[in-house]
Amino acid sequence: MLKNYFKIAWRNILRHKGYSIINISGLSVGIAACLLIFVILQFELSFNTGFTNYKSLYHVATKQIGEDGTTYNPGVSVPALDALRIDFPQVKFAALNSSYGSQLTVPGNDPNNALNDKKFSEDVGVFFMEPQFFDIFHSDWLAGDKSALDQPNMVVIAQSTATKYFGNWKQAMGKTLKMDNVLTLRVAGIIGDAPDNSDFPLKVMVSYTTWKEHPKDYNYSHEWGSLSSNHQIFAELPQNMTAANMDKQLVRFTAKFAKDKTKVTRAHFLQPLSDMHFDTRFGNTIGDHSTSMATLRILGLIAVLIIVMASINFINLSTAQSVSRSKEVGIRKVLGSTRKQLISQVLGETTLIVVFSVAIAVAIAELALPYLKNIATVPDNIRLFNAGTMMFLALTTIAVIILSGIYPALVVSGFKPILAIKNKITAASVGGIPLRRALVVGQFFIAQLLIIGTLVAVKQMNYVNDADLGFNKSAVLILPGYTDSISLGKMQTFKQQLLQNPQVKSVSFTSDAPSSDNNWGSNFYYNNDMKGATFGVFMKFADADYFKTFGFKFAAGGGFDLSDTTRQVVVNETLVHKLGVKNAGDAIGKTFKLGGAKKWANIIGVVKDFKTNSLRDAVRPIVILTQKEYEGQAAVKIQTTSLSKTTAAVKALWEKTYPEYAYSGYFLDEKIAKFYEQENKLALVYKIFAGIAIFISCLGLYGLVSYMAVQRTKEVGVRKVLGASVANIVFMFSKEFLLLIGIAFLIAMPTAWYLMSQWLQNFAYRIPLTAGVFLLAIVGSMGIAWLTVSYKALKAALVNPVKSLKSE
Amino acid sequence: MLSLQHISKYYQVGGNKNFVINDISLDVDEGEFVSIMGPSGSGKSTLLNIIGMLDDPSTGYHYFVDQPVHQMKEKQRSALYKQYIGFVFQAYHLIDELTVYENIETPLIYQDVKGSERKAMVADMLDRFNIVGKKDLFPAQLSGGQQQLVGIARALIAKPKLLLADEPTGNLNSKQGEEIMELFRKLNKEDGVTIIQVTHSEKNAEYGSRIINLLDGRVESSKKF
Ligand SMILES: Nc1ncnc2c1ncn2[C@@H]1O[C@H](COP(=O)(O)OP(=O)(O)OP(=O)(O)O)[C@@H](O)[C@H]1O
Ligand SMILES: [Mg+2]
Repeated sequence: MLKNYFKIAWRNILRHKGYSIINISGLSVGIAACLLIFVILQFELSFNTGFTNYKSLYHVATKQIGEDGTTYNPGVSVPALDALRIDFPQVKFAALNSSYGSQLTVPGNDPNNALNDKKFSEDVGVFFMEPQFFDIFHSDWLAGDKSALDQPNMVVIAQSTATKYFGNWKQAMGKTLKMDNVLTLRVAGIIGDAPDNSDFPLKVMVSYTTWKEHPKDYNYSHEWGSLSSNHQIFAELPQNMTAANMDKQLVRFTAKFAKDKTKVTRAHFLQPLSDMHFDTRFGNTIGDHSTSMATLRILGLIAVLIIVMASINFINLSTAQSVSRSKEVGIRKVLGSTRKQLISQVLGETTLIVVFSVAIAVAIAELALPYLKNIATVPDNIRLFNAGTMMFLALTTIAVIILSGIYPALVVSGFKPILAIKNKITAASVGGIPLRRALVVGQFFIAQLLIIGTLVAVKQMNYVNDADLGFNKSAVLILPGYTDSISLGKMQTFKQQLLQNPQVKSVSFTSDAPSSDNNWGSNFYYNNDMKGATFGVFMKFADADYFKTFGFKFAAGGGFDLSDTTRQVVVNETLVHKLGVKNAGDAIGKTFKLGGAKKWANIIGVVKDFKTNSLRDAVRPIVILTQKEYEGQAAVKIQTTSLSKTTAAVKALWEKTYPEYAYSGYFLDEKIAKFYEQENKLALVYKIFAGIAIFISCLGLYGLVSYMAVQRTKEVGVRKVLGASVANIVFMFSKEFLLLIGIAFLIAMPTAWYLMSQWLQNFAYRIPLTAGVFLLAIVGSMGIAWLTVSYKALKAALVNPVKSLKSE
Repeated sequence: MLSLQHISKYYQVGGNKNFVINDISLDVDEGEFVSIMGPSGSGKSTLLNIIGMLDDPSTGYHYFVDQPVHQMKEKQRSALYKQYIGFVFQAYHLIDELTVYENIETPLIYQDVKGSERKAMVADMLDRFNIVGKKDLFPAQLSGGQQQLVGIARALIAKPKLLLADEPTGNLNSKQGEEIMELFRKLNKEDGVTIIQVTHSEKNAEYGSRIINLLDGRVESSKKF
């Protein structure tokens, strides 16, 4: 019996090749898309679950409640660590201080020639770490053990890092490693690599005590008041203690030690390790990869929508097609088939098509997998097959079979045999026309939602990427440098040598690019008023050439004059306005002092507002001032005509000047584009999936119209004989669909408007939601649908009427 | 075997009832061979469909092997049908998606006959109708006469007690038609199969033991031999 079903199913697939291709291509593209999204979700949601005890692990975080609202900081002050250990003896604590970027050097044979050294820049994964860390976070020790981190100047490195530095990790033990040309470390342990789905990309772990011995170089401060996001504490709670319980005690703990006289109230609390990856309140994780749950939810929703759309095609086509099967069904009933048997037969066909589609989907997904990293932060070596994806495929297969097979099966098996045999079953008597219309509306609702979403996202990202930042970001090469005295001493000669290259327009030493995610702030005093301003200011340190290099415009006054820069500051318009000064010119000549500074300086210029951060945030009050020790990085403005050649020359010069450092220059505009990496990826995701949605819904339309064309061949013939024009006929076919799309639009427009205005809230600078976007969506979807429909309709309309009538 | 009492079938056309079958009462005993004749549109096929439980009468009582069909649910009727009736359709009604072999085999599948047994029965039937060579062809590849033969073979495969045939020889040449009639007679005489056939041919009608003439949905005359 079963064999019989599948044989018939197979023949039916072949007989109705056109519909089968439509069904299979729609389903396989849809399932492939879902499979890939599943792989992304699976990867993201698995973060930190590699630690077997992750459910009892917590991150001790800090909440600061101030006048401007609540801010979150992943760090905890250094003295809190010992205090926590005393107050909570039953809890295991471990601290680390991450370096946000360090250079590791493997010394060459010649100690006097730094050019022989092997230099490596590590953006993430370099820590000062307590040995206790490994008590609560399990790692595989390939050599040595955690006690290595008891001693100063000891370092533990991960296997692949060791291989990278020393060629073979087995030869790394006992070797010397220099860090930032400040520390000389001995390799005392090797651990296995951290898995990709860990927020702790452990690469280079220097003993915590080493940090204490170099307070200046690595900002070690044993002050309760100082809070750095680099210094983080983790805890493992004992079985009998809940996080809520500990949180309560932490309130008392914080109160006990809070001797802070500032207006900011600080509170510590526990963040479950399982939340860490998704908690966007803290900006980012130490692994530099956090993902918002909202993004994951959107992805999941898109996956479900795509599957639903593909299933709708299936339902529409099979019910429409079922009319032509009515005779077969009727005869089968007369020959003794029960309804159950007919249902199984139809489901059997569905199963065959779905299984076939899943096989193709897997092939598509496998081919697309290498490109997945363009839309999501997944590791290069991500795999398609694992227990989870297999389970997902199995469940999807079953869900799609049920979703798309049950209804047509019920319709087909419900035919009355006598009507079926007499060929009295028509599209109208099958019923389901209202349903089919509703489904088409549903499909176009989804498609238009995605189209509008895409248009808005793309427009917004174009706006953000091309926005006038208030300074010139193009062709500025940033050379991160070092502020040790030797490096600072070489600065001026380096600058002079750079300027000898005719392609170099100007060079400025600075702490920070105009737009960056740096937020180094302070309180300040204005106009000799010792009460102090009610808001903080953010600082950028730079020399006089800063303004020229970045092409700032001034609202009043000008940049530093070379003679006396230490007593001069430049502020931005936002700061002036926040102070209540109406006219920028009125601020010129007024005095200005940072909190903690001894001398007053003069405001000599007010720059027009430039974007200080990403466009997600509003412009901040800024002061630009000079302080040589902080101006470690060079900004080099280059003639755009020979970028790569000049860049190479700059690099060569840099390496000659600073042989002990690895070159890590980058172009500012590329860095700024990175601010929006997540959004740009999301915009790309929208584009791809809107494309898929349109593809699937048009496939469905195409199928329905081709079916209609077959059904109405005779009608078309008669109408043509009676004098209908080709245009009349095409209109006859398309008017219903255009109406349905119109209805879909009426639902999609407000929904999309609501959703996208929510999304735009993420940006301080955003495009307005104009009618244009919506107009484009409706015209676009109608246009595409019309093209789809009219191809088939035209074909039907152009058939010689004599031919179509004769065949009756 | 079956009994129709005051059976009518009408279609509502505008406000009028348009009677296709008008108050027909008819008893058929086991072992009878009945021929139904009448002009086109007189309701022969409709009557046969009602007897075969494929169509519902508008009013009247219908008993089959002493069971009240007019009170039955679809499922029971279908079970009864499966057990007793074989149907030869005027328009053949072969399943286009199946080969000749599979078409003949299908009723056996639905009656849960075992595979090996099915094979033997179908082979026997193909042999009997001389269509072994066509067994792998699809209906569209056959002539009208050949399709009709397949339809008859399919109706007989499950060894029905009642054979309903709607113009079984309409598309056959006279020699083939005669052979089929001989076959029907043999089935009727030797195997005791009750047969009701619709035919336009006087000659074929005379194979029956009773001839019923329909006109406008009524029994115009009925004579037994
Ligand atoms: N759905 C329907 N609506 C209205 N009238 C119908 C319907 N179906 C059948 N009829 C009518 O019923 C009548 C009897 O039809 P039937 O098929 O039983 O005739 P027949 O005697 O078998 O004719 P033929 O010899 O041509 O096969 C016809 O006049 C037909 O018009
Ligand atoms: Mg007839």
